[in-house]
Amino acid sequence: MTAIGHSPGAAPEPILELDGLDVTFGTETGDVPAVRGVSLHVRPGETLALVGESGSGKSTVALAAIGLLPGNARATGRASVAGTDVVTAPESVLAGLRGRTVSMVFQEPATALDPLTRIGAQIAEVVRNHRSVTAREAHRTAVGLLRRVGIPDPERRASDFPFELSGGQRQRVVIAMAIANDPDLLIADEPTTALDVTVQAEILDLLRGLAAETGTGVLLVTHNMGVVADFADRVAVMLQGEIVETGPVEDVLLRPVHAYTRRLLAAVPRLTVAEQPPGQAAPALDGSGSGSGGSGSDSGQEDGPRSAPASTSAPAAATAPADEPATDVPAVDSPVVDLRDVRVVFGRGARAVRALDGVSLAVRAGETVGLVGESGSGKSTAARVALGLIRPTGGTVALFGSELRRTRARDRHALRSGIGVVLQDPVASLDARMSVAECVAEPLRVHRRGMPAKERQELVAGVLERVRLPRAFARRAPRELSGGQRQRVSLARALVLEPRLLVADEPTSALDVSVQETVLEVITELQGELGFACLFVSHDLAVVQHFAERVVVMRDGRVEEEGSTAATLLRPTTDYTRRLLAAVPVPDPVLQRRRRTERRAALAADGSGAGA
Amino acid sequence: MPTFLYLARRVLQAVVVILIVTVVVFCLLHALPGGPARGILGPQATAQQIAEFNRQQGLDEPLPVQYLYYLRTLLHGDLGTSYTLNEPVAQLIEQRLPKTLVLTVLSAVVALLIAIPLGMWQAVRRNKPVDYVVTTLSFVAYSTPVYFLGLILVLVFSQLLPWLPAQAPQGDTLAQVFADPAGLVLPVVAGAASMIAVFSRYMRAATLENLSEDYVRTARAGGSRRNALLWRHVFRNSLTPVVAMLGYYVPVLFGGALVVEQLFNYPGMGLLFWSSAQSSDYPVLLGCVLVISIATVVGTLIADVVQRIIDPRVKAGRA
Repeated sequence: MTAIGHSPGAAPEPILELDGLDVTFGTETGDVPAVRGVSLHVRPGETLALVGESGSGKSTVALAAIGLLPGNARATGRASVAGTDVVTAPESVLAGLRGRTVSMVFQEPATALDPLTRIGAQIAEVVRNHRSVTAREAHRTAVGLLRRVGIPDPERRASDFPFELSGGQRQRVVIAMAIANDPDLLIADEPTTALDVTVQAEILDLLRGLAAETGTGVLLVTHNMGVVADFADRVAVMLQGEIVETGPVEDVLLRPVHAYTRRLLAAVPRLTVAEQPPGQAAPALDGSGSGSGGSGSDSGQEDGPRSAPASTSAPAAATAPADEPATDVPAVDSPVVDLRDVRVVFGRGARAVRALDGVSLAVRAGETVGLVGESGSGKSTAARVALGLIRPTGGTVALFGSELRRTRARDRHALRSGIGVVLQDPVASLDARMSVAECVAEPLRVHRRGMPAKERQELVAGVLERVRLPRAFARRAPRELSGGQRQRVSLARALVLEPRLLVADEPTSALDVSVQETVLEVITELQGELGFACLFVSHDLAVVQHFAERVVVMRDGRVEEEGSTAATLLRPTTDYTRRLLAAVPVPDPVLQRRRRTERRAALAADGSGAGA
Repeated sequence: MPTFLYLARRVLQAVVVILIVTVVVFCLLHALPGGPARGILGPQATAQQIAEFNRQQGLDEPLPVQYLYYLRTLLHGDLGTSYTLNEPVAQLIEQRLPKTLVLTVLSAVVALLIAIPLGMWQAVRRNKPVDYVVTTLSFVAYSTPVYFLGLILVLVFSQLLPWLPAQAPQGDTLAQVFADPAGLVLPVVAGAASMIAVFSRYMRAATLENLSEDYVRTARAGGSRRNALLWRHVFRNSLTPVVAMLGYYVPVLFGGALVVEQLFNYPGMGLLFWSSAQSSDYPVLLGCVLVISIATVVGTLIADVVQRIIDPRVKAGRA
């Protein structure tokens, strides 16, 4: 009972057909249903996007479709790939199917490849799994595949080990493995989530091209509505293990029917883009100019320019710079944190890496500055310098007006009590052995040593309330909370000392959009109450556009461009920022199609966009 | 880093480590009460005779001076002369070391040949009856003292079932040792048992960890079957932590040899060490410690080099 119909485009018969698929995980505490009665199909040459938030079961569906569910999962129902029921087929049949009829691209290119095997050999292995060719022929095929996925100098790179490749290149290798035997069905599970936007755009282009060339059906699992708009023909929305809405991409994204889909789409921060080049751009400008006033608090918002009044309560509006000023109002208060010409070099000799090269940036009281850039651009390093965690090789850092290098250790310690930090990973940034109250109280134990326990408890309870967590959470363990709740605990800990500066390094990157929305709301609201300055590091330009008043764009350890968010992200002056913005997919299929064409044209024009 | 530079640096480091070891051991030995004179001259020796002996042997000099003397002769390849056996230490070690090496290397090879596949097999059959049985046996093997295990082995396979000799091969040359392979079986098994237990546990854990890695899923998604997965990917990835452990295991092997050699009457380094410790034979003790520390340092060095060969990231300084 092997696969049928290997010639692509033989019939409009679906290549993948799920019918009443149920998946249950057996855990220590009992059975947990993950997927309930999912039915869907993918035809040759079409892309179906499966979207939903974490825990919705979308990845489980993808794994079930290729028969790679973990050992404690039980599947029932039917999942037919080219006529073979994957649910009931024995492992030997599945092995014959995988890599030839159906293959998969995974989320994390950093770990998806065997670290000890040369990439050429890993691709050749997939070739030889299904074709009786000599080792040399398989190697030649592997080199050809590497060329096809756009790895430069494939003959040489084939003998590289995965660690010698960048994240984007590794993902290309994973894709090369997936398409090695021209599969009829390609399953892509968050294929670009771990990548920078510019690399994401290239990888999506690559997948689109390959699918079109061979008529491969694609099941795309993602949480990113922009990617969906960019890539999918049809969309299925999952919620708690069930599909709640299915339809053509334009219907689902632009005219959603189900209440959940609407909510989900409303929570997606949208990048406001200059519509027709200069003329129409103006109205959108003030929309994000008042970014400090609660991102996305207007949940019914559609695409297109936001209107200023929608975002209310702009508390720090008094100090919020309109566009140019920065000179007339806040001349009195010096910046809360001030980096001047900071250089940071890691390592020495030939291996030295210039992480920061002459970076200057300042954040004033009540202001939010977004720090954006691709991975490796130095944005997190800059944040760490501001925190005093990295001592710069050159330049000066002033915190609250005192220069760090000139202060004594004890004073530096005191200065630090004026900074709160929220980091990206909500799981790793809280000590699993402490209760929520202990986590939040830790800064008090360090910086307010004499404080009576009673007072401390009061303070902790108060700050938990401020981040909108019930007081009763104080006694819980962090692992009992959801990701968004944990991130709010981190925020409570950061704010318990009433800091003058909050440094947030990708605070919402690991969260679902709806959760991201509440966390950002809480930060904005508290900023209004407490008036702290905020240095907001993020790779997500849409979030920064909504959340920050000023933006600093970094590239290769330098500041590429800076200015008010409204001006810079709408009318960037450098090519780099322009490319960065063009690569962000917007969750509107019609608009995105046009942006894609424009981006391609721009790349073709200057021919500088090659290579990931 | 280029391999040559790397090796040069590591060898230099090894020399420093060995020097430090000799200093520590030298000080420890001389801190022990008693001293060699009483042992050599017998209980009837007068205080004057003992003082005379100490003066002759330079034992009345300050410790640092004694150490420098020792080091100077050491650099000339002279390890000194045994107080009790009246033979040059170098010659004693030359006679005994090969025999111990045969025993330990054979034990280690046998142990690894069994432990590595065993650990992988357990990992694949995780939480199945075989896994539990092997795990139990491992703990038994690990917690049984070598001398006790050796006695049991002799009792069962030599006394009750007359299959194997109870003595290790006698004779001083390696040719004589290898002429009687049956005699090696029980000593090697006794020496290997706990190592099998330890390394199968390591291998099991490493294999389990690797089996849950993403790259295994990627390979499966490409249609690779289980044996290919295990041997082409998981095996090599699991080997790195095991190889790293191997270097540290050298002193344990020598420690085991000490007991096994006694038990099976096989005069190697272990017996030499034991008897010289009994009689405070400083030159021999120091020589033995020197040899064992060199073996340990060399063992770790080899383990590191092997790791560089297995894992390209080590060479590139990325892991």
